[in-house]
This record gives sequence, C-alpha cells and structure tokens, in this order.
Amino acid sequence: MIRLRAWCLTPSLLMLGGLFLIPLAIIFSYSVLSRGPYGGVEQPFTWENYARLADPLYLSILLRSVLYSAIATTVCLLMGFPLALFISRSGPRRNLYLSLVALPFWTSFLVRTYAWMFLLRDTGLINTTLQSLGLINEPLPLLYNPFAVMIGLVYGYLPFLILPIYASLERLDKSLLEAAADLGARPLTALMQVILPLSMPGIRAGSVLVFISCLGAYLTPDLLGGGKTIMIGNVVQNQFTAARDWPFGAALSLVLMLFVMLLLMPLLRRKEGGLL
Amino acid sequence: MNRRIFLLSLPGLSGCHRPNTQRLNILNWSEYVAPETIPNFEREFGVKVRYGVFESAEEMLARVMSGNSGWDVVFPTNYFIRPMLELGLLAELDHARLKHLDALEPRFQKPHWDPQLRHCVPYMWGATGILYQSNLTPAPQAWADLWQPRFAGKLTMLDDPAEVIGACLQKLGYKLNSGDPNELAKAQREAEGQKKLLRAYVNEIVRDQLVAVELMAAQVWRSTAMRAMEAAGSRLAFAYPKEAYAVYADNVAILRESKRSDIAHAFLDYLMRPEVAMRVAESKLESTVNAKARALLPEPLRNHPVLFPDDQTLARGEWFEPLSAQAQRLRDRIWTEIKAA
Repeated sequence: MIRLRAWCLTPSLLMLGGLFLIPLAIIFSYSVLSRGPYGGVEQPFTWENYARLADPLYLSILLRSVLYSAIATTVCLLMGFPLALFISRSGPRRNLYLSLVALPFWTSFLVRTYAWMFLLRDTGLINTTLQSLGLINEPLPLLYNPFAVMIGLVYGYLPFLILPIYASLERLDKSLLEAAADLGARPLTALMQVILPLSMPGIRAGSVLVFISCLGAYLTPDLLGGGKTIMIGNVVQNQFTAARDWPFGAALSLVLMLFVMLLLMPLLRRKEGGLL
Repeated sequence: MNRRIFLLSLPGLSGCHRPNTQRLNILNWSEYVAPETIPNFEREFGVKVRYGVFESAEEMLARVMSGNSGWDVVFPTNYFIRPMLELGLLAELDHARLKHLDALEPRFQKPHWDPQLRHCVPYMWGATGILYQSNLTPAPQAWADLWQPRFAGKLTMLDDPAEVIGACLQKLGYKLNSGDPNELAKAQREAEGQKKLLRAYVNEIVRDQLVAVELMAAQVWRSTAMRAMEAAGSRLAFAYPKEAYAVYADNVAILRESKRSDIAHAFLDYLMRPEVAMRVAESKLESTVNAKARALLPEPLRNHPVLFPDDQTLARGEWFEPLSAQAQRLRDRIWTEIKAA
C-alpha cells in the first residue's frame, strides 16, 4: 500500500522538482548575478539587484498592483459567490452550468483579451449598439483605462473563484439548512450564519487564486489598459524584453513571490486546517 | 538504444534515406517574406526549411544567444549586429557565394553597422513616423504637433521605450540615441506631459483604430502605416516628422553555429535576387534595400513617397544604435516612471 502511494506520487514530485524547484533555483541564481550587456547574466555575484528594489517607484507600482488585485478579487467574490450558490442548487442542470463556467478556458487568454478589446473599443459592439439605440451620441471611453483593466482581470479570473466556492457549497450538508429553518432562521440569516461560514474554505482558496493571478497579470494592463496603467507584472516583463536586465527581473519576481507568500501566511495558518 | 547499436544502425539509415533532403533552419520576423518565398526556395534547392518567427529583436537574441540554438539563418536589426558580433554569434560571409550583392542600393552596400558586409546583408529598412487622418488641418508634420491639445484622447504613441523616449529627444532637438542624463530627464518631462493626451501606448493594433477613425493620429512604425493606408486609402496619411525620425534596417545573417554554410549562403543570395526581393516588398509593403528589386516593383509602389522618400527626407532619419548598459538602465527607469506617472 505504501509502495503504491509512493509510485502514485512520483510523477507529481518529479513535476514539482523538475518544473518548479529547478527553474526557481535558476531564477534565484540569475537574481544574484550581473546584467549581461545584451541580456543574459554574467559574473560577478552581487546583491545589487535586490538593493535596487528598495525604491519608492517600484513600491508604488507594487501597491497599485495590490490595490487592483484586491478590488478585482472583491468584485469576483461579489459576482462569484451568488453564482456558485445558484449552480449548487440547480439540480440536474448544474453540470451544464459548471461546464459553461469553464468554457472560456477552451480559448487562449490572449484571444479572449483581444475579444474584449473588440467589445470595448469606440467602434466596438457595446458603443455601436448604444449609439444605434440613440442612448449616447459620442462613444463611451471604455477601453484603455483602469476600468477596462478591471473588467479584464475580473473576467479572466472569475472561474477560479466560482469553482472552489462551488466545491465547498456542494459538500454542504443540506440537513444543516433544514435545521436552521426549523429553528426559525430566515433564508438571509441562514445564508449569513450557516452557508457563508461553511463555504469559507472555498471562498478563501478562490480569493487567493484570483488575487495571486491578478498580482502577476501583465497582458491585461498592456492590452486593455493601453500600457498607461502599469502593474508589477509589466515591470518584470519589461526587464526580460526591452530593458534586457534579466537579473533585476529575476530579483523582482522572486521578491514578488515572497511578498505573496508573506501575505498568505495568515490564511495558510488558519486553525480550521489549511487553505482548502 | 545504447550508443553502439545507434552507431551501427547509422549506415543503414543513410542508405535508405532520400537524397538531397538538406535542412535549413530560418528564424525570421513574422510577416517578413512573400507566401511563395520559402516554398520556391525549398523546391529549387531541394531543401526542407524549418521556419520560426519572433516578435522582437530581444526575443531573437535570447533564442540564439546560447550558441547551439539549432538555427542557421537569422534576421537581426542593425543595432543588434554589434552585440551579436561581440557575443561571437555571427559567421563570416563568403562573398564569392553571394552573386547578387551588387543589386543592393549603394548606401546599403556599405552600411555603418557592417561597412564591408562581412557578417550580414541588409534586407529591408523601416522607420517611425506619424500616421494621421488626412482631413486634419493643419496636418501633424512634426513630433511637436503631437503635444497639441486638439488630439486629446485621440492620439497614441508606440508601447516601446526607445521609440517614445526617442521621439521626445528628437522633439527637443537632441539625438535619438542620447544617453545624457540631463537630456533624458527633459525627454521624460515631455513624455509625462504628453501622457495626459494619450489614449494609449500601443503597437500594431493601432492600425484598426486609425482605419476605424477612432484616433486622429498615432506614432507608428512605417510598416503598420503602409498596411493601414492600404486598408483606408487616402483617408490616412503618413508623415516623416520634421525634427528627425528613427530609422532601422533588418539584415540577414548566418549564425556561427550553423553547419549548413553552403545552403545558408544560397538562401541569402536567393533573397537578394531582384524578383524574389521584389515579391517580398510587394506583398508585405516594405521598403526593400535592393535597387534592382525596386525597379521591378509595380508603379504605385516603386515611387511610393512613403516607402521610398526623397533624399531630403531620408537625410532626417537617425539610425537606432546599441546603447551602453548605463544608458539602457537609465532609460528603463525613466520608462517605468513615465508608465507609472
């Protein structure tokens, strides 16, 4: 039995070791080397790339990214929780709804982001429809602002929140709700005092997934924000492209990772037992 | 399979292998050959081409920097030639095998980035300018015009630090490749002042938005401008800015790691054939460096004022150059500040 378990774990351990830990070690080694003149890394060893991070500029960009991610996560929660609740209660049709939630993953994120550009732009579907209905005269500036970035983030990561919440609602013991009703709890009270606390593990897991994904986003601010609202992911990306400063990019991404882990520590330590 | 068995099986393999299926590995910018360019080459030379594309010169360099990337022929931009030489990535060309060198325009037979064409052959040249709705009066003709309030919300700049900072430097009368901290600080103020007017920093996607009249003007690459004007006709016009503008040229080169020097040279020579070069320029609306190819182009293109500007306009062009590490770092910080402003 133990041997079977070991065998079953081997692929994922290999994956983790080979595709996660080793690249992480490479990133770390890059981050303590010097910038090659044309990209790449060179000797000598240095901590300078980390010292450069103590700069109000990068800190302010990081804060903005945290703010955007927090807002996007909140909006996702407000939209995702009711939807997950609805799906968990729609009987035989729930599988259909679940697959609809997962459907967007069938196309690449890039393509879907471009699709949003075609919806939001001045001559896009939304503006032309509103104009032909006579509701507006001038097209609304929907694209290339923080609002568009927020739409992109919420749209892109909403399924990551719906699915875990659904999973915990699914496990919820229905007799607890009956008990609540028997004891005189109105539906709203039952929701706040029974359903919500019991779905906390899913809410937490989903929020963490969405928040982290948003924090690392760089395509969305570029394409929907028109490059005018920079997030920390764009700074990292830029170091590996135009700036050709791989060591600084590596240091930035490692510190970002560390920051996320510190932020999540309290969540991971919850006494109810872990994230999920 | 252990090594001995592998070696034993080799003669057998080569015995039954089809003759003449040489391979050539070509790494090019996307959209940079005519549809028939590669198939015709394969047919004529009995070669199988593995064709890869990249979207930025930095990406290309990162992919071939290891020195055993598996690519034979690459298309570096002029300011990447020196770095690639310093990294020892480029092979020396054998001019005896390049019969069509004399087809190139004289100025591209001795370009400043490789005056004797020892390591590369110029392919196409490009530039950065202003694309605008032609009914605008007055028409924007200078970088400075892109700071006018009338463009508020209807203007974009490229999402590229060298281009935006470069245009600001040129507006101020400084050099495109300046690494001077004072000049760069002034350029940064210009860019931050302009940002309020901008709808976005975007690259190729701007084409659709200009064609759909969502924008009045944009800083664009000339290749984007040509495709937009093809779609919109005379509704759009292109200006080479009055102050100065950025120029670059893409080149064809053979990597030093390549073990297929013969067929790689044949490919370089093939690309310089006037008919072949003409078809690339015609189908992609690019400015060929090949004088004989230009002579073969059909008329609207052969003397197109945007594709082939007059000498006076050409004289205002400033070539992108490789930057020092210090200047690069300073510019990246400035770019990040502009974006975060």
